[in-house]
Amino acid sequence: MTALPVAPAPTAPGPPPRKPRTIRPRDTPQPRPTNTQTETHDQERDSTMSGNNSRRPRARTLLALGISASLALTATACGGSGTETGSEGEGEGKIVFWDNNGGVRTEVWKKIITEFEKENPEIDVEYVGIPIADVQSKYDTAIQGGGDSLPDVGMVGTAYLANMVAQGALDPVGDRIEDSPLKGKLVNGMVESVKAAGGEKDQMFTVPTSANQGVLWYRKDMFDKADLPAPDTWENFYRAAEELTDRENNQFGFTIRGGAGSVAQALEMMYAQSGIESFWDGDRTTVNDPKNVEALEKYVALYNEYTPKADLNNDFTKMVATFTGGEVGMLQHNLGSYTDHVKAFGEERIGGLPMPPSSEGGPRTLVSNPVDGMGLFKSSGNKAAAWKFIEFAASAEMNSLWNESAGAIPAHTDAADDEWINKAEPTKAAMESLDDPNTKIVQLPYYLPDWNSISKADTEPNFQKLLLGRMTAEEFADDLAKRLNEAQVEWSEQKG
Amino acid sequence: MTAAIVEKGAQAPAPADGETPPPARRKARQRKLDDGPPRWQIYVPLGVYLLFTLIPFYWMLLFALRPSGSTSLVPWPMTGEHFEKVWTERSFGTYFLNSTQVGIASMVMTMAVALAGGYALARFRFRMKNVFMLALLCSQFIPGALMLVPLFETFRGLQLINSMWSVIIAETVFQLPLSMILISGFIKNVPESLEEAAWVDGCSRLRAFAAIVLPMLRPGLIAVGSFAFVHSWNHFLFALMFLSSQDKQTIPVGLNTLIGSDSVDLGALAAGGVVAAVPVVIIFAFIQKWLITGFSAGAVKG
Repeated sequence: MTALPVAPAPTAPGPPPRKPRTIRPRDTPQPRPTNTQTETHDQERDSTMSGNNSRRPRARTLLALGISASLALTATACGGSGTETGSEGEGEGKIVFWDNNGGVRTEVWKKIITEFEKENPEIDVEYVGIPIADVQSKYDTAIQGGGDSLPDVGMVGTAYLANMVAQGALDPVGDRIEDSPLKGKLVNGMVESVKAAGGEKDQMFTVPTSANQGVLWYRKDMFDKADLPAPDTWENFYRAAEELTDRENNQFGFTIRGGAGSVAQALEMMYAQSGIESFWDGDRTTVNDPKNVEALEKYVALYNEYTPKADLNNDFTKMVATFTGGEVGMLQHNLGSYTDHVKAFGEERIGGLPMPPSSEGGPRTLVSNPVDGMGLFKSSGNKAAAWKFIEFAASAEMNSLWNESAGAIPAHTDAADDEWINKAEPTKAAMESLDDPNTKIVQLPYYLPDWNSISKADTEPNFQKLLLGRMTAEEFADDLAKRLNEAQVEWSEQKG
Repeated sequence: MTAAIVEKGAQAPAPADGETPPPARRKARQRKLDDGPPRWQIYVPLGVYLLFTLIPFYWMLLFALRPSGSTSLVPWPMTGEHFEKVWTERSFGTYFLNSTQVGIASMVMTMAVALAGGYALARFRFRMKNVFMLALLCSQFIPGALMLVPLFETFRGLQLINSMWSVIIAETVFQLPLSMILISGFIKNVPESLEEAAWVDGCSRLRAFAAIVLPMLRPGLIAVGSFAFVHSWNHFLFALMFLSSQDKQTIPVGLNTLIGSDSVDLGALAAGGVVAAVPVVIIFAFIQKWLITGFSAGAVKG
């Protein structure tokens, strides 16, 4: 702004000089225009009044449009086109590690890092804990921002692995595993899950570290008191849900997940009851198969009959809190909440069983749960050191330590017989059900880039409608199936 | 209204001795107006509202203070284990310090820039002023999440990723539009003639602003400053995205790390919630008088 004087205010002298030219004190009279100027202004006013566009309003409109456009363009500006390719480095120096479940696992990771730094004093690992709910956004933002702020190593779940692979953020690790002590030591089922979730045929983009498994948690003391058998069959499960419910005394047989994460759990219940062995029948999903619809109907009928009404908004936190509150007999959740249940009730009062088989004595049908793994980032400038850390953390001893803390199933085959697994009954039962050759695993399509949005944002509101009776099980399943079929076709076309 | 009635009463012919009370009907009406509505009509709705407001806080304190595994509805026996855990093991001591730094810095920057911008909007007429005001208002409709990638790239270019300044600048920028509009409203309420009198006495515009206008803006500044601080204190997204080092994270990010994928330590989460809430509660307790004055002053003129 240049400093040119403005017209002096008639009522006050105004502050001494140096006033900008383009601004003037409020309510200060304008310099009287010349006759020519007056005519021009009058003409402008007239033309405005007569409906023609005057110059000034048009300029304002254009400016407003310009500002709006620039804001919109800025807001929707695209990020970088991908990540930069890093280098192997010297195998020493500092590496950055992002934990996708920061806070909860911080303690065990710090132990592992301390051990690693003892063995490799030339490498310094910086630990960064990311809240699990936002880890995908954090990775995506860093990738879109060019990739140079990505870590060297990060924990990556299969639920969002395909998305990161598609953006070119991760290095394949299959060849590195072939040349390392990890070769042949990783649980085959987890390796297959990681390959399938990456969506790049047989390429592996993470080294699996752990898997989870859906479990029916139940209160042994409540079952004993009511003289009920453990919920090891669907008949026992539904009977217990009914008989443990005493609404007058605020006691319920079951707590259902009606909020965030509801659809994944519903799928687990549907396939386990129906016994349908595959998620796809050709290029059509089996989600809306009549057997699945029937199972879904039975499952949602529990709501507000044998569950609290407030379950409608249950995410896993509220659901686990409802269960550990002490007035609920059963809960369906994965192994990860084991420590919470033990803390609340003690080991002797809590039991955990894998999903019952669809028919008594028959094989179990389980849906694949997300497999956690360690990814090596393409942008890392110190891949040699980063790989050393991955190898160390995935070794039998460290993998066992980590999974004991997390209550999950270890990925290293040598960790499977460790003492803590034999002591943790639910973990042992889950591992046995996975190892059972008769068990059928339904692989959920984590490789679909739209899987998360379909199974969460798109259909979770529908699940609440279903619970409230505003939608039928068939309508819900058909809508979900339609979205999945479309996403599958789109994905197939992209892959050629 | 009461004052008007009193004044009206004063204009009535004065009784001979000057002590005689007004007629009975007028007295009853006067008392009714002075007393306002029956007390229960105030306290019952207030009590119900308070109940709804305070139950979540009680829940938070209950979980923070009772031992793990307890299902008691009163925090007894009381324990400090959760606070100790979040403060030391979960690094809330560091997060608290970082949040304080971000909050104070963005508050100071917001107030400084909003004062200058608000003064210009209130005291000067310039081309496109209305368009500018409209653009300021429109900028409020853009959610922070939509600006993440462009901001990330900008800060990356400035080499400010993983620097506290990225969060401070982003928070300041997002709070400026509303703060400027509010401050300009407060400045418009200060008579311009006061400034003009100072100019007559030889003050420069800046001096007149500092000596005359600024002291009168105290309620408004407290309102805007406290909102800037509390917004920065509670805001999660920018700190999560722009900061990567553990020792630079802020309280909201720390709170979110207490919720795991499959398990949650409710005691630690509640204790973290108390740590996060206490400064905000203390700030509002101290400044509520100024806050109400500030907002009512800003509401008169826009």
